[in-house]
Amino acid sequence: MSENVLHIEHLTMRFGGVVAVNDLSMDINQGEIVALIGPNGAGKTTAFNMVTGVYQPTEGRISLLGRDITGKRPDEITKLGVARTFQNIRLFSSMTVFDNVLTAHHLRRTSNFLTATFRLNMAEEKKMRAETERLLREVGLWELRDEQATSLPYGKQRLLEIARALATEPQLLLLDEPAAGMNPQETEELGEFIKEIKDKFHLTVFLIEHHMNLVMGISDRIYVIDFGKQIAEGTPAQVQDDPAVIAAYLGVDEEEGVQ
Amino acid sequence: MNNSLNKKKADSATIISAVIVLLIYVAVFVAEQFIAPTSMLFTVLKKGATYALVAVSMNLLNGFTGIFSLGQAGFMLIGAYTYGVFTIPVAERLNVYQYYNGGLVQFVLPWFVAMLLAGLVAAFFAFLIGMPVLRLKSDYLAIASLGFAEIIRAVMQWDKLGPITNGSNMLRLFPAFNDFNIKNADGQVVVYLSTLIPMLIAGLCIGVIILLINSTFGRALKAIRDDEIAAEAMGIRLASHKRLAFCISSFFAGVGGAMLAMYQTTVQAKGFTTAMTYEILLIVVIGGIGSVTGSCLSSFLFVAASEWWLRFLDQKQMIGDFEVPLLRNGFRLVVFSIIIMIVVLFFRKGIMGTKELPDLIRGIGKKNKKGATAK
Amino acid sequence: MWNTIFPYLLTGISVGGQYALIAIGYTMVYGILRLINFAHGDVFMVAGIVMVYMAASGMPLWLCIPLVLIVTALVGFLIERIAYKPLRNAPRMSAMISAIGVSYTLQNLVLYITGGLNQLYPTIPWISDSVTIFGATTKMVTVVTPVLTILLVVALVALINHTKIGMAMRAVSRDFETSQLMGIKINSVISITFVIGTFLAGVASVLYFTNYTTVIQTSGAMPGLKAFVAAVFGGIGSIPGAVVGAFIIGIAENIIKGLDIILFKLGVIAAPIGLATFSDAFTFALLIVILAVKPTGLFGEKTTDKV
Repeated sequence: MSENVLHIEHLTMRFGGVVAVNDLSMDINQGEIVALIGPNGAGKTTAFNMVTGVYQPTEGRISLLGRDITGKRPDEITKLGVARTFQNIRLFSSMTVFDNVLTAHHLRRTSNFLTATFRLNMAEEKKMRAETERLLREVGLWELRDEQATSLPYGKQRLLEIARALATEPQLLLLDEPAAGMNPQETEELGEFIKEIKDKFHLTVFLIEHHMNLVMGISDRIYVIDFGKQIAEGTPAQVQDDPAVIAAYLGVDEEEGVQ
Repeated sequence: MNNSLNKKKADSATIISAVIVLLIYVAVFVAEQFIAPTSMLFTVLKKGATYALVAVSMNLLNGFTGIFSLGQAGFMLIGAYTYGVFTIPVAERLNVYQYYNGGLVQFVLPWFVAMLLAGLVAAFFAFLIGMPVLRLKSDYLAIASLGFAEIIRAVMQWDKLGPITNGSNMLRLFPAFNDFNIKNADGQVVVYLSTLIPMLIAGLCIGVIILLINSTFGRALKAIRDDEIAAEAMGIRLASHKRLAFCISSFFAGVGGAMLAMYQTTVQAKGFTTAMTYEILLIVVIGGIGSVTGSCLSSFLFVAASEWWLRFLDQKQMIGDFEVPLLRNGFRLVVFSIIIMIVVLFFRKGIMGTKELPDLIRGIGKKNKKGATAK
Repeated sequence: MWNTIFPYLLTGISVGGQYALIAIGYTMVYGILRLINFAHGDVFMVAGIVMVYMAASGMPLWLCIPLVLIVTALVGFLIERIAYKPLRNAPRMSAMISAIGVSYTLQNLVLYITGGLNQLYPTIPWISDSVTIFGATTKMVTVVTPVLTILLVVALVALINHTKIGMAMRAVSRDFETSQLMGIKINSVISITFVIGTFLAGVASVLYFTNYTTVIQTSGAMPGLKAFVAAVFGGIGSIPGAVVGAFIIGIAENIIKGLDIILFKLGVIAAPIGLATFSDAFTFALLIVILAVKPTGLFGEKTTDKV
């Protein structure tokens, strides 16, 4: 059995009286692609926000590579090797494509503000720029590097978000609905792309997605939650046949299809 | 390949900008030797340089980091006082601190050391106040930093601190801009430097700020401005970076305060009101929030307009036998306010938007090229 | 002991009431537009100046007072229409800067008109009369203010809770976009909010300047800031919060003004130590402390950002 990357136990999040995530436990191992699915409002993004430190869980424990990260700040968690994208794309809107990715290298700096201001960190700066170039070529955005990030078409903005996340040198990549707004062909390409970068960057991928073709196509395992509670877990085939999932989830599948 | 080409072009625009700035300095130096030192031009340049530094330091926070702070006057006050306290000649102290037996401090620091110290003390206070204040969200932060500036103003006037701050009395007789002029043995000025040196100090400081803005730390600050949550998710620690921006901004506001003291030749705490902060904020807005070039341009314009070009509005003017109506004391400020409101309401990007001088030059370059290919 | 403190306490309650009337304008506008109306204190000052000029024109005072209130409300209405409405969809910082611009403009305008000199506020009969309560001599206005404040606040709360326009105001402050979709006329609700807020600031100006007797272009800055602090202190957006905050700040500030004497009489200090210097600073220190401990103020609601 390969190494455990993310271990979640009894995770619960309450907002006032509302229980957004209820006693969620899961394990993700090195090199896996694991999907978290569930109807709208099931608590998927809340779970992501707890793993990345945006929310402090009400109860439960999260560990990354055997290390407890519960209650740590988002930037600390990113430094420990978790990167993410956002459901409602959050690029640095005033910056170019290039600078978006370049900025994400900031966390691995060894310079301080004085050495950086007085340009005593040129070697590091050069390395950051070279890395940025490599990543942008990797995702096919190199030609667009001088464009304003927010002027890109939607699909390309999603790719840029992934490139930016990769720049933080993660072990675990969290993708929050990466295929939202993409057409079937783009979605298929995205699936290939995710598998590709997973191998190339030795990643473990944890994703939330509504496009069932994508989820079933690339996931090694799937967790299904509804009303914050886990209702199924298994391989795509197992989950598809699970009556609880069909009842809770596939009922809204038509609606997803319309999207 | 393409990228290296891009780089080259950027460099030439930067070099042209540097040359322009250099030429301005040469022109100022030459002008100072030949034009009467009482000319309004020099008043404008001196005060303009001071305001430019303070405006750029405020822009670093408000424009580049997205922290809406209104504490600038407080940090300037700290800078001005630090400078004054440590540079008043010992022989004059009995005179200045007449109610406090000459005060506690009985030594003098060289002006540039005192100026550096002015920045450091302001930065230190920024560090302290930043802990509670920087955690707050936009408007709360604005009002808390404004409140802090008011607290500083009160503390500085406290009678019990009189031996150091001279209480609510003026600090004076410290070295001022005019002392930069080089005099011969007879006390006659040989080389005029009283405008050039303040401009050099401001230029140097602004240069450092530009370097910071274009470094990896500057990018991190812009990331925070654009989207705090995304910035944090990219591993940028919000608290430490905001604190850094706050301290650096305050450092330069402190240095700017010291320069203001030198410009005014006297310093009194009650002058550093929120109105002063508002004025600087309006300069930043007119220049363009997020443009260093804009803040500099607008500082000089603001000072020139208020101290020089619009002065005539404050006096009765006759055209032939006709007396122009409305013109009397205070009208200048009314006109000024209206101009500001027009900028705020209709030209929200200000003079420069987020563009800098090299961007303008690049723009001109592109236009020329387009014209050439069109032919 | 009581005799030493009581006069300060009395002034504090009175000033607190005046701050409360100003603070309501801040808190209502913030509740609806999420805008710190930095010009609100200056509108309060303008009300004072308008009164000075109206009285000087020989108009009887019984006519001046209602006219001042109407003019002030009109000023508030115009400021919103000219300086804030065009920026409704702009970033929040733009509106705040515009507010600072308006504040700057009003001060300069008054400076121009008055020539920058202190203007003597007309003496309004009855409320300017001296009165002695519990051994402390003060102006009638000191006693009238808290009573009037409470009455006005009760009326306002009734308006907000029991009328259609009040319901619209509550809806808009809860959710701007949705209430717009629901057919609420946002612009009139906002205008009415400004009119009410500035009207109350007008009332406050009559009370405040009767006490302080002179008006100058900067007279509104400090009371304005303090009233705003009061609004934040109480939890911005909450009217009762603003009122409670204002009374606390008014009282604290005046106690500090007399703290040297009080401590001296109590034998805590042997000589005055100039604590009165800090009467303004204390307000802001209080602000920073409350924001650090409970950023949403005493009565504020907690909010969570959506990611």
